[in-house]
Formats: sequence, C-alpha cells, structure tokens
Amino acid sequence: MTTTLLFQSLVLGVLLGGLYALLAAGLTLYFGVMRVVMIAHSAFLILAAYLAWYFNQQTGMDPLLSLVITVPLFFLMGVGMQRLLITRLRPATLTMMSVLLTFAVALFIEGMIGFVWSGTQRRIQLPYSGESITFLGAQVAVVKLVAFALAALSLGLLYLLLKYSRFGLALRATIQHKEAAQLVGIKTDRVAGFGFGLGLATAAIGGTALSLDATIYPSLHWHWIGPLMAIIVVGGLGSIPGAAVAAMVLGIGQSLLQVPLGTTWAQTIFYVALFATLMLRPQGFFGGRLAQRF
Amino acid sequence: MPNASDTRPTQDVSTGTPAPAGPAATATAPRRPGTARIVRLVALVVGVALVLSFPTIAPNPYILSAGVVVLSYACTATAWNFMGGFTGYVSLGHAAFFGLGAYATGLLIRDVGLPSFVALLLGGVVVLLVTIPVGIAALRVRGASFVIVSISFVLILLLVFQAWGAFTGGSDGLVVPRPFPDLLRPEHHQVFFYLFAALLAVMLVCWWAIDRSRFGTGLKAVREDEDKAQALGVPTRNYKLVAYVTSATFTGLAGGLYALWFGDLDPIFQFSIMLGTYMVLMALLGGVRHLFGPLLGAVIVGVGLEYFKLEFGDTQLHLVATALLLGVVVLFMPDGIIPAVASLFKRFGPQDSSIREITAAELLERNRAAAASATSASETAGSAVEDDGPHRGGPDGSARGTSERTEDAARRPRSGPKEDR
Repeated sequence: MTTTLLFQSLVLGVLLGGLYALLAAGLTLYFGVMRVVMIAHSAFLILAAYLAWYFNQQTGMDPLLSLVITVPLFFLMGVGMQRLLITRLRPATLTMMSVLLTFAVALFIEGMIGFVWSGTQRRIQLPYSGESITFLGAQVAVVKLVAFALAALSLGLLYLLLKYSRFGLALRATIQHKEAAQLVGIKTDRVAGFGFGLGLATAAIGGTALSLDATIYPSLHWHWIGPLMAIIVVGGLGSIPGAAVAAMVLGIGQSLLQVPLGTTWAQTIFYVALFATLMLRPQGFFGGRLAQRF
Repeated sequence: MPNASDTRPTQDVSTGTPAPAGPAATATAPRRPGTARIVRLVALVVGVALVLSFPTIAPNPYILSAGVVVLSYACTATAWNFMGGFTGYVSLGHAAFFGLGAYATGLLIRDVGLPSFVALLLGGVVVLLVTIPVGIAALRVRGASFVIVSISFVLILLLVFQAWGAFTGGSDGLVVPRPFPDLLRPEHHQVFFYLFAALLAVMLVCWWAIDRSRFGTGLKAVREDEDKAQALGVPTRNYKLVAYVTSATFTGLAGGLYALWFGDLDPIFQFSIMLGTYMVLMALLGGVRHLFGPLLGAVIVGVGLEYFKLEFGDTQLHLVATALLLGVVVLFMPDGIIPAVASLFKRFGPQDSSIREITAAELLERNRAAAASATSASETAGSAVEDDGPHRGGPDGSARGTSERTEDAARRPRSGPKEDR
C-alpha cells in the first residue's frame, strides 16, 4: 500500500468515523435516559435520508434545507415515541422489551418506506456531487466533507447543549441518577422525552448527511444497525465519549481495511471488535461497571 | 433486567406449570379438579390427531406446503423457547443457527456426499460445535447487550455466506439434492410434514422434561433474578450455555430439515433477521412460559404470514403487519395468549377462596397429618415440619411473601443507575 493510498483511506476513515460518532451518540442518549436500546435508530436514519431525497425531488433545492423540517419533526416523533410507547413497558423488563418494541418500529418504518416510495434504489443528484478537492495529495469528495462538517457541527452543538444549558444539566442529572434528579425538582419524565427527541434529531441530521453520498433503499438500515450497535457495545453502553472514540477508531479501521480486503470483508471489523470486546471487557472500554447487566 | 416478563410467582395453577418449590407443588395437586386434567388430555389428543391427519384432509398441495412451513416455524419457535422461555434471554438472532444448520446439511451432502439424513444430524453437530464458543462470548453480557450480540451474529454470517461465494454459492444459492427424488411433490410435502412433526414432538418432550427438572428450575431462577440465583449457588453460566446450545442445535436441525425439504438455499433468506423476529414473536404471542405457547404462536403467526404473502405479495406491507403484531404483543400481552386465556377461564371457574396456594382447610388437614406422623414416627417428623415451613405463617405470611417479590421487581431497575456509578 502506497503512502498516498494509506493517507487517502485515513482521511476517508476520519470522515466516516465522524458520521458514525454522531449516530452512536444518539444511541447512547437513549440508553442513558431510558435504558432503551433503540434498534429503530438506523431506520429513522434511512427515513430522514428518504425525506431529504423526496424534498430534493419535489423542490429541486439542496437536501440540506430539508433539515429545517426533519429535525423538529424527528424531535417531536422522539418525544411522542418515548411518551406513548416506551413508558408503557413494565419497568422490570424495560430493557429487553424495548429492543423488541423499537425493532417493531424499525420494521414498520422499513415497510412504510417501501410502500410509499417502493423498493427502488434512490440517489440524490447534486451539482457538487462529482466534485472533489485535493487535500495533501488525498482526493476527498465534497459531499463527504459536507457530511462530516454536518456531523462535526451537530456533535459540537450537542456537546454544548449538554454541557452548558439548563436542559443539558437536567438531562445529565437524569442519566446519572434518576431519583436524585427527581428530588431536586427535575421532571425526569419530561427530560427523558426530550432526550429521546434529541437522539432522534441526531438521526435526522445523520440521515440527511448520508443521503448526500449514498444510494438508499428501504432495507439499507440493516447495514447500519450492526456497525452502530457494535460501536456502542465496544464503547460501553451509555457512554458518549466511549461511543465517539469507538466510532472514530472503528470507522478508520474499516476504511483502512477496505483497501486490502474489499468492502464486504472490511465490514467484519465491527463484529470482530464486538466479540473481542465481549471476551476482554464485556462492559465495553468506557462503560460503567454494570453496563453488561443491561 | 433480562427476564422476559415480570417476576410473577411461577405457581401457575390453571396451566399446570409446577412450582419449583416442593411443598407448593404437592399442595396444588389435590386441589386441581380431575376434569381440568381430563380436558387438557383430550385437547392434547385432539391436537395430535389434527396434526397427524392434516396431510390427508388438506384440500390441495399448496395448503399442505403451507402446513409444512407453519410446522417448521413451530419447530424454530419451540427451539427458541429453550433459551428465551427458560432463561428470559431474548435472542433475535436464532436465524443464524437455522441458516447454519441448513447450509451445513446442504454442504455436507454436496461436498462430502453423505446421505441426506446423516448430513442432517451431522449438521446439527456442526451447529452445536459452533454455538459453544459463540455462546461463551455472548453470554458474558445480559439483557440488551445480549440481544445486540445475537443480532450481530446473524449479520456476520449473512456477510460471510454472501461474500464467500466459492464455498457457499453466495447469492446464486445452494441447491440441496432431495432425499426422495422419486416422490411427487404432494407426497414429498406429506413426508416432510411428518418429519417436522416428529422433530417438533422430540423438542416438546425435551422442553417438558427440562421444565420439570432441577436444571429447568435453575434456568428459571436465572430468569427471575440472575444475581440471586448465582448467589444461591446455581451454576448460572454453565446452565445458560447448555440451554443456549440445546436451543441452537434444535434450531439447526429444523434448518437442516428445511434445507432438505425446500432444496434451495440463499443467504438472504436463511440468515434473515426477520426469521429470528418471527421466532420471538411466535413464542411471545403464545406464551414463553408454556410448553405449547410457541406452537400456538407459530400457528397463528405462520398462518397470518402465509395469508399476507398471498394477499400483499410484492409490497412491503407484510413488514408493517409483522411490526404492528409485534408491537401489540410486546405492549399489551408480553405474557402471551395462553396465560391471558387461562385467566379468562379462571374468572368463570370457581373462585379461589384465598390468594394462598392451598386453602386453610387443606393446611389444617396437612398439619394434622404431619402431627400424626410426628407422633407415630419421630424421625420423619422433622422433615415434614420443615417441609411445611413456608406455609406455617398463616395468610399473613404468604401474602407478605408475594408482595415482597413484586416490590422487589419494581425496585430493581430503579436501583440500576445508582449502582452504575
């Protein structure tokens, strides 16, 4: 492998890792606030991508503008989903049953996408689709840069929101200790709902970023679910920094392996990492002591 | 927590699931009227007769082949229930074992040239051997992480079997030679209908035996509270592994039989997450704590799926239908149909005179008998009194026991985050 090629895949890996990090952050948010493993996250991702494609198809405008609609919409859907579905599960079996429930949601979305827009593969054509810039000898497609910028921007905003806003403080308190948060007057149910909405909003952004560069079809979410789940298990369920680091490492790893092994076999790095993690540190590399219990 | 449904006391009188505790089980027996037992026996005989006569009364070969499909679903759901029902570990990835069994059987026939049914059994052995390391890794985590790992396993195998086209045929598929090349199609279906029924019967007998064994009690203890079970000396890790391997092997055998019947394998359909979902849905719908729960669920869901296939064909609406069904089951009847119907019948039957497992009159009689034996034979008295221990406390004692359990179940998840730090 030449140095240029190596550098090229490294850059692409960082770009890919950024997108993975954004999506995995959403997953850890759900797990943090509700102890819910959200299988439907990647289905919402594909839904957002389809909405961006449809918006572009109908208006001819840049798909990024669809974020103005999809982000609030997904936020509301998240709040509704938490309030109407997740809270109805019995607390004793919440974690396990939530997997099945969100799985049902994922199937529902996949089925509806297929029904409304058919199973045909779709792709957005943009004026800057084919363009790429040369960065220190590496060719980087503009759409990939835009996607990465979008991911970096929203991860930054998420960080600021969690760190400095009153809502972020309440959310972090709810994640850390629900009863104590209730004692100091935080309405944890509402906060959990908003946290869920926030997670889905990241799916809206991620999906739109994905739509710029990928061919989309209804069952595409299965290709995302494995890597994303592997990332949060490797990082440790519920740990946002863990998810970010694992996403970056695995994204870069996948990108580097693509050159010698090809796309399909490079995917297996996620599963190899997953099983290695289970053998070495079942709770993940950043997870709390009891993360393996959920 | 990993339990598939809440921590209800396991003494389910109406359906005959025996309580793990000795005295309670013996106490239930005399109270149950003989008619209930006869009704269940009759239902069993009628059910068996229906299954056995189905090939002869099926109006056309299509219905017969649909019956084979439903029976294969029933096999997978019952096999799933060895893990999901006993330990409460929900595996969404059992399709991996189904596909592995199918491919192992197919490849052993094609590449090694073994006779079909020898290959089927060896395929089961292959699944067993593969499951041991996978189970050791997967069972290191619980709950949601376990579900994630189980899904990942299907996705890996799908990836490998698609990418490794030279060996597995990849997306072109793998043609499995038929075991009975001379048979006409309807006769072929008929033979396989009985083969699937036989496999199902073997599984049901195994499940029934485990349900009544000490091993089964240990597995149920894992379902109710794994930490407590471990603290009480149940070798939870080994028990879980044995249950997982048993479950996987039976699923693999069902897959191998399917391969022999269907004759054409494609990774997309063999390693499909949907198949794993169907297993969970069927088992949950019927009732995971009951011997015939998965079978009942398989009949309902399987018939529904065949109907959707006919009705909606190419559209994706069958996914929506499955999703809605799964959502409704998870939200409104996580315990399944059998308990729901049983409690309905109980409402019309004679009311229980108390919430206790045995009535006050029976307790009095038991205590008298115990006292009588105590005076006659002093050495047996000790054990008899000890046996009666939990029931000695009167109504208060028993009621307190139950409320403690429910309270405990409600408290546990809330204490999670606190321990987490």
